[in-house]
Amino acid sequence: MQVNLADFWPRILEATNQTLLMVGISLLLATLIGLPLGIILVVTRGGGLLENRSVFNVFSTVVNFFRSIPFIILLVAILPFTRLIVGSSIGTAAAVVPLVIFSAPYIARLVESSLLEVKPGVVEAAEAMGATPWQIIWRVYIPEALSSITLNLTIATIGLVGASAMAGFVGGGGLGDLAISYGYQRFETDIMIATVLLLVLIVQVTQTIGTFISKKIRRQ
Amino acid sequence: MIEFDGVSKVYQAGGHELRAVDEVDLTIRKGEIFGVIGFSGAGKSTLVRLVNLLERPTSGRVVVDGEDLTRLSKPKLRNVRKRIGMIFQHFNLLESKTVRHNVAFPLAISGVPKRELQARVEEILEFVGLSDKADQYPEELSGGQKQRVGIARALATSPDILLCDEATSALDPETTKSILRLLKRVRDEYNITILMITHEMNVVREICDRVAVMENGKVIEKGTIFDLFSSPKHPTTQNFVRTVMENEIPASILEGIERRGSERNIYRITFINEHAGEPILSRVAKQFQVEVNVLFGQITELQGTPFGHLVVELQGEDKEILRAIDHIQSNVSIQEVEAHAG
Repeated sequence: MQVNLADFWPRILEATNQTLLMVGISLLLATLIGLPLGIILVVTRGGGLLENRSVFNVFSTVVNFFRSIPFIILLVAILPFTRLIVGSSIGTAAAVVPLVIFSAPYIARLVESSLLEVKPGVVEAAEAMGATPWQIIWRVYIPEALSSITLNLTIATIGLVGASAMAGFVGGGGLGDLAISYGYQRFETDIMIATVLLLVLIVQVTQTIGTFISKKIRRQ
Repeated sequence: MIEFDGVSKVYQAGGHELRAVDEVDLTIRKGEIFGVIGFSGAGKSTLVRLVNLLERPTSGRVVVDGEDLTRLSKPKLRNVRKRIGMIFQHFNLLESKTVRHNVAFPLAISGVPKRELQARVEEILEFVGLSDKADQYPEELSGGQKQRVGIARALATSPDILLCDEATSALDPETTKSILRLLKRVRDEYNITILMITHEMNVVREICDRVAVMENGKVIEKGTIFDLFSSPKHPTTQNFVRTVMENEIPASILEGIERRGSERNIYRITFINEHAGEPILSRVAKQFQVEVNVLFGQITELQGTPFGHLVVELQGEDKEILRAIDHIQSNVSIQEVEAHAG
């Protein structure tokens, strides 16, 4: 049974909404977790501001652990946890949980690499001026790395768009789900092309905005 | 003002010890400009970081203004650091902040009220001559201007001490001079004690009152700038002096002397202080039956006073030459030079 693309638009719009919602909420939550994690990884490492090898090793290992699990496996493996958090293991909200767990460690590493670009000399200068570690994080590390963090968050966002496509597995909906269940499994080429084009558009727009903001921050 | 008391800093690197700073004793007096010179790896960078405890000494005491910093708690140490400014070879300015905000940084982290902060920033930018650049970003500035921002930032909290870590090493000679003049003004107008480390002898010559020479973590020689230039004892010190003042008689001149053979009376006359300006040689030539032949020489300036040496050949009868030497000796130092030894 063929589906008419024109009649199908409301479904596509709904799916677009679901994708944006999943990606948006996941990005927000994952950043809230990933940013402090990235900061911890930078300040506790050897020679860091608050050097603490055991803390660093624990966080680094946990981050690596979650980073090494393929998303599709993570999605299924944490189903009980998801149910505990959102009360259900299917639906858009349920998809957000694995997306956050998947991308928070990734964002942590991206933030870490951005912060490591901050010249050690600048941090040393702030220390020499009597700044507290907290002041150095908020007044030196973050502002100096903000432009780079923005670019890296853009990368993470696009990664999330990709991962959210797989969220169809837990009934999360979204454009990726539509492309797979209609376009791929039911050979609805029109729908596949339409959804993929929409995904391309989302990625393009995201990257353009990210690059723009990053440049804006660099040259205030 | 700053006292190093048997200070060592030892790093453990791959099973063996690296003594970056080795049993250093130094006293830096209030209001003086003290230079520490050494080749790279001599330990001077570590030494300067021991003053504000960016590096903790492995043993010994660092006493600043009567206070043993190694015993202070972290919050107290941070307060002491606010009285010790520091500038760096690569300036280490916040790239994301304007000149104004960079200079305001040390005041902002101390919670200085906004109005007071703004007034102080204006005042100090005026002092370093960068009022018109206040709203520019560091990357829009030249190296010399960046270092001026660095100096302004270091002075913002009105410190008693200014540490300079190779502050002019990334600058061209002209800019170096202007930065050194500014540092001198800092000392003269604010009576700030300056400890500067460098590998450039001309920097030391330009503004330092006293100097310590470092090698392999140890202070191998120290003294006033005149001591060091007029009678450097350690070979490394002699090398440093040679970088700004050629001490050896050039080979071409030596060759000429040796070729002509015979007994030659060659002397090195060293001028220090006021005598450098006196016409000693022409007086000698007039008063005694000797001819003075200047073979080689160099006069430079040490802190605004001429200093240097001349290598001369005295021709004439032995008796007259001895009298001439006697006369010279009563004014300046003179030594015989062996033609083949230089």
